[in-house]
Amino acid sequence: MSQKIKEHVQKLLIEGKIKGFLGLREENGNVMPHLFCDAKELDALSSGDWKKAGDTRYPLNQLMIRLAMAYPEESFAVLVRGCDERGLRELFKWKQLNEEKILPVGIGCPDELARACECEKPFPDSLIDGPKGEKADSQKVARVEAMDLDARLQYWKAEFDRCIKCFGCRNVCPMCFCNECSLEEDQLVGTGEIPPVNPTFHLARAIHMVGRCIDCGLCEEACPADIPLRTLYKKVAEIISKEFGYKTGFSADEKSPFNIIEVK
Amino acid sequence: MTFLKKLLEFSGVHPERLRTRWVSSAEAVEFVHEVSEFVENIKKLGPNPLKVKAKEAA
Amino acid sequence: MEFKTVLTFCPYCGCGCGLLLEVLDGKIVGTLPSKTSPVNRGRLCVKGWTVHEFVTSPNRLTKPMVRKGDALQESSWDEALNLTAARLKEIKEKYGPDSIGVLTSAKCTNEENYLLQKFARAAIGTNNVDHCARL
Repeated sequence: MSQKIKEHVQKLLIEGKIKGFLGLREENGNVMPHLFCDAKELDALSSGDWKKAGDTRYPLNQLMIRLAMAYPEESFAVLVRGCDERGLRELFKWKQLNEEKILPVGIGCPDELARACECEKPFPDSLIDGPKGEKADSQKVARVEAMDLDARLQYWKAEFDRCIKCFGCRNVCPMCFCNECSLEEDQLVGTGEIPPVNPTFHLARAIHMVGRCIDCGLCEEACPADIPLRTLYKKVAEIISKEFGYKTGFSADEKSPFNIIEVK
Repeated sequence: MTFLKKLLEFSGVHPERLRTRWVSSAEAVEFVHEVSEFVENIKKLGPNPLKVKAKEAA
Repeated sequence: MEFKTVLTFCPYCGCGCGLLLEVLDGKIVGTLPSKTSPVNRGRLCVKGWTVHEFVTSPNRLTKPMVRKGDALQESSWDEALNLTAARLKEIKEKYGPDSIGVLTSAKCTNEENYLLQKFARAAIGTNNVDHCARL
């Protein structure tokens, strides 16, 4: 774990600027989310690089929402990569988190991870340590677009047919905070069917990813059926960027084109 | 709509299978025209491949 | 204030997927798959994802209960066990040992499962013993 990050967090804790730092802890060879409230615990800090870069990332923003709801008056710091920071910007706009109570502690992603993620921007602006990586080339979407219409349908049908409706993609998503989820609506996606109605389940989720998906890749990592979810959601982001000029998580003020409701 | 058409196209469904038009209940002739034209279009595109696959699987 | 995640294993099937229980101030509030568990490597099925729900469910039984008349009523372990033993004996005498079946569980230890099959075969005298994973 980066010494710079450890020292930065230590300072925040000792100076009483935060109640706790939401990060990752390594214990007995396992990496898991943890709220560090005492500087003495910081020896166990992990950056989420267990055997490979970024292989033990967790949806810290999601856990942050839970903490903030239980303790709205407290300030917290949270470990963020480029994608997590994009997530925070959106969550502030969606009023799920209070900007004044959250201090991002940024870590940059190494090239190998940025390339695997095909990341638009593999480092956060609030960078404490780690490289300021280059934008990585996207190939996943292009590969599907190279197929003709029929081949695409076959491809997606085969992929979606493996879905066991574990809801892992939705449960692990740091941006999914809806209290009532459309995917659980019997009229849209019939309950008790495996695989869920093809392609409705996945296209419905894809549509809901507009203005939400930060391309962190946790969904694909959580899928037991290895469905290429990121490819689908990356295409969604591409359409929104081309047609509406909106890129999720890049602006602190601009709202998603599908978010027209004024949240007070 | 633009978004939906592009998403459907990416997923292997012809974008022309989806159409929206605003028609008032007072515009009966326009409505008939729209629907007839859409039906003709769909006939040219052929049966819905999603339904065909579902039948084959059954 | 305390928030931590605790590594444990899914109590449902025999797979033994590693999962993290999110614990906020001593209460279980959520579940995450463990990315470092070699069995599941960060994935869970729908049962694993909802493990935290049954722990604090209001439907959970917390005391032995005995049916008196139409309703289930709270009782003691002694009363419940005595009643169960007496009724099983009665049923075995009246209908024979094969009228009784025993279902064990992936949540039991191997030793407990051994005891259950011994109970079925030696105490009751039937081969009707099976396991929840086969359901």
